[in-house]
Amino acid sequence: MTIAYNRSSGVDASTQLRGNAFTRAFSGGTLGRNIGMAVLIFILGFLTLYPLSMLLYGSLHSTPPGMAGEFNLAGYRAILTAQNLLVLVNTVGISLAKTIPSLSIAVLLAWIIARTDTPFRGTLEVLITLPFFIPPILTAMAWGMLGNPQVGVINMAWRWLTGAEEPLVNVYSYGGVIWHMCQYSIPFLFLFIVDAFRAMDPSLEESSRMCGASRWSTFRKITLVLMLPVLTSSFMLSFIRGIESFESPLFFGTPAGITVITTEIYESINHRATPDYQYATALSFAILGLMFLLVLWQWSLLRGKSFQTVTGKGFRPNVIELGPWRWVTFGFCVLFFFVTVVLPVGQLLLGSFFRFFGFYTYDMLTLEHYRAVFANSEFWRAMRNTMTLGLLGATATMVLGAIVAYVSVRTKWKGRRLIDVMAWLPWMMPGMVLGVGFLWAFAMLPGPLPIYGTIWALLLAYIALGTPVATRVMTGSYHQLSYDLEECSRVHGATWFQTMWRILVALAWPAFAVGWVLTFFGIMRELSASILLYSVGSEVLSVVLLKLWTNGNAEQVSVIGLMMMLLVILFRWVQLRVIKSRISKL
Amino acid sequence: MTNTRTTAVRSWSRRLFLAAAGSAAIMSGASFSAIAQEDDWEKVIEAGKKEGSLVLYTAYVGQPSTKAIADAFTAEYGISVEVLEARASEIRERVRVEQAAGRYAVDVMFTSEGQTRLYDLEDKSIDPLPVTPNSGKVRDQFKLEVPMASVMTIPYGMLVNTRLVPENEIPKKWTDLTDPKWKGKILADDPRAIGGGYSWWFSTYDKIGEDFHKKMGEQQLTFTRDQRESQRRVARGEYAIYIPLILTDAPGLEGLPVQAVIPEEGVPYVLYGNVLLKNAPHPNAAKLYIDFLQSPAAQKIYAELGHGPVVDGVTEGLPDNIRALSEAKLLGTSDSRRQNEMLEKAKAIYK
Repeated sequence: MTIAYNRSSGVDASTQLRGNAFTRAFSGGTLGRNIGMAVLIFILGFLTLYPLSMLLYGSLHSTPPGMAGEFNLAGYRAILTAQNLLVLVNTVGISLAKTIPSLSIAVLLAWIIARTDTPFRGTLEVLITLPFFIPPILTAMAWGMLGNPQVGVINMAWRWLTGAEEPLVNVYSYGGVIWHMCQYSIPFLFLFIVDAFRAMDPSLEESSRMCGASRWSTFRKITLVLMLPVLTSSFMLSFIRGIESFESPLFFGTPAGITVITTEIYESINHRATPDYQYATALSFAILGLMFLLVLWQWSLLRGKSFQTVTGKGFRPNVIELGPWRWVTFGFCVLFFFVTVVLPVGQLLLGSFFRFFGFYTYDMLTLEHYRAVFANSEFWRAMRNTMTLGLLGATATMVLGAIVAYVSVRTKWKGRRLIDVMAWLPWMMPGMVLGVGFLWAFAMLPGPLPIYGTIWALLLAYIALGTPVATRVMTGSYHQLSYDLEECSRVHGATWFQTMWRILVALAWPAFAVGWVLTFFGIMRELSASILLYSVGSEVLSVVLLKLWTNGNAEQVSVIGLMMMLLVILFRWVQLRVIKSRISKL
Repeated sequence: MTNTRTTAVRSWSRRLFLAAAGSAAIMSGASFSAIAQEDDWEKVIEAGKKEGSLVLYTAYVGQPSTKAIADAFTAEYGISVEVLEARASEIRERVRVEQAAGRYAVDVMFTSEGQTRLYDLEDKSIDPLPVTPNSGKVRDQFKLEVPMASVMTIPYGMLVNTRLVPENEIPKKWTDLTDPKWKGKILADDPRAIGGGYSWWFSTYDKIGEDFHKKMGEQQLTFTRDQRESQRRVARGEYAIYIPLILTDAPGLEGLPVQAVIPEEGVPYVLYGNVLLKNAPHPNAAKLYIDFLQSPAAQKIYAELGHGPVVDGVTEGLPDNIRALSEAKLLGTSDSRRQNEMLEKAKAIYK
């Protein structure tokens, strides 16, 4: 039982696609298709290629754009050192070390939540994703308090329990860096994967079981293989993000002498006599080149295969009855929730009611941090700006991502590979360098285009930054939808828009909603581009958080972080309610 | 406030007048010049008020003093101040690109002496400083070659955990830190990267010597890059000492088991001030702002926060603990012309 494709591999898929009613209807003929493609290429080109081309110029020119200099390869020569090779190996090692366990745990959690009868799984689904939405600097601070070797809460408890001299954990280490990264990648991957589990037609698994395969063998050979597009996409997103992770290595790695690519780039921009943009951009392009090899690997892995599970035949995702084992899965989820949410968020919540984090005495009790945040007019202005940008940005990003994903997965148009690659690009460039790319790109636009210095610069940057996730989420979902559905809709006389709305939007809606939430909160957290593009009056939340943090107001930052979490709970609750009602109608 | 300004203008013109009177040869010309300058300044005030607003970029992120000063300025002249804050390298790149693209958005920038040199020599994005009524009052040591109107110093000292360090063992001098008993107990901002740790390294290297750092290099310092969180880590007892502490943070740490120490040798410092941007859209308002920050009113606001003022006579009447900070003996500061050399030296000693 190794074949997991529900479409015969002997059938020429391209012939079928060319002939399918939906594609014909959507294309509106060659001219309409070409115009549509040209518009898409233009939009993606402006959002991704244009800023990257400015960065490429920066990597090949002795000075940044706008200054006299000469073209040379000094930047690329400078990165070719044995030291950088070590840094690269270190970075890749750390990223792999966090991606593999993160993906395994995320798959397990997603399976438990989506496909088993584990108690309270609806509530658990919201709770276990919370760490992803907290600003990393806050969880870093919380884990610093919990896991420092000298007086960390965990080590104090360990010493008290065992009488040991040596600490149990030390977060200022490789382990600490990886652990802190896992806090973000597990919920991210979980969000990515869980709906793919839900959109799984159980008949394939049932067939496998009826043919005598064990439950584990079915899970491995059917379930996992059917999810290959989602799993490979999420692996790559997470692995690449691991390479580009900055806060964890800076906070936990620097004290332990651990250097990674991003801290090297950060140093070359922020901690040299003159920022060395040529070096920073050359290093980033070298990374981009390496990451691109991964995309090629994914293409070769998925080529010529079909992963459709949502067909015209009615189905309800199969819920496996675990019997008493459901309490084991429940226990696992609760343990995960306790370790990744209760421990760090508990610190933040507790600390927000005291004058100083970690000093929990009666005389230190206060509400001054809440009062300060509520009375901070700048915070409210930034909140309004961020909410507006988040709502507009997340919606626009998801619409763009859905269109790009649709064209690249469900059509055979010329140029679909190009737009797929273009939509990947922003993910492969470290955020702090891409931020500079946006600054150069928008400020250097010809005079009559007033983007730089307006809120539009932020919006465009956010759309560009969110497009890779939006596209990947929708790609995974579209891979699972059968073409029969579109054809059936058309055969029954539905118009193109009705088909689009009832089939593609309605069935891919859960993925769209997850992508929207990921993008929305990505916008709320984004700092690297925001700080280079915001203008007076268009301050955003991340800039206000930076200002508060820099001024030593960690407790106020926590109050805001907790408010963001409440917002997440609200969003996720609404989203899951809607998904549930939709699935029940399927 | 208006009275303060009028007094400042009067005293400035009076000073000029007296100076001119002392020089018989050019007496008539100088007195004419003084009157002309006073008239000129009145014109600047008038034109600045007409401009109505100015845009300030500041690399001194998150400081409440920025708003306090801006409010005081607006109360004085009726000119609103729009502030944009970002870290030094981000501000610099924004200004450089804006100037290169001909998008002149900013009038004044609040930055450090070292950054000013880069703006002036490499980016060529700033104008010469205007002569203003208050500029003559600045102490000589803060009158610079570079076109930056000095405003205040950020002083650096030590932070000691009082639960881990008995009072009689609290270090009093930088050199006390070389005592082997502190080995492995000091948390330090990384001197190998531009920042507070680098300022400490630079000035103590110059003023105390290389031997001091060679001994410090054997103390197994733990390096970090987050100054505010590091203060809390010392307060919680992870380490006994943190260097260098931004001394103006000390009042905000009251209630924690820590003590700020002003070392006897003196405090390393970073000098901050204002620069005037080329093609500033509100040049007159900008000149008024630059002048205002050297006025006694603005200097007192900084002194009250523990910063070192650049004019005399504004620290009287301050509480003792604050006065100790703002009057702390200055040890030295870094020189941006030697940055690459000093970074290399730091990396050689602190591996």
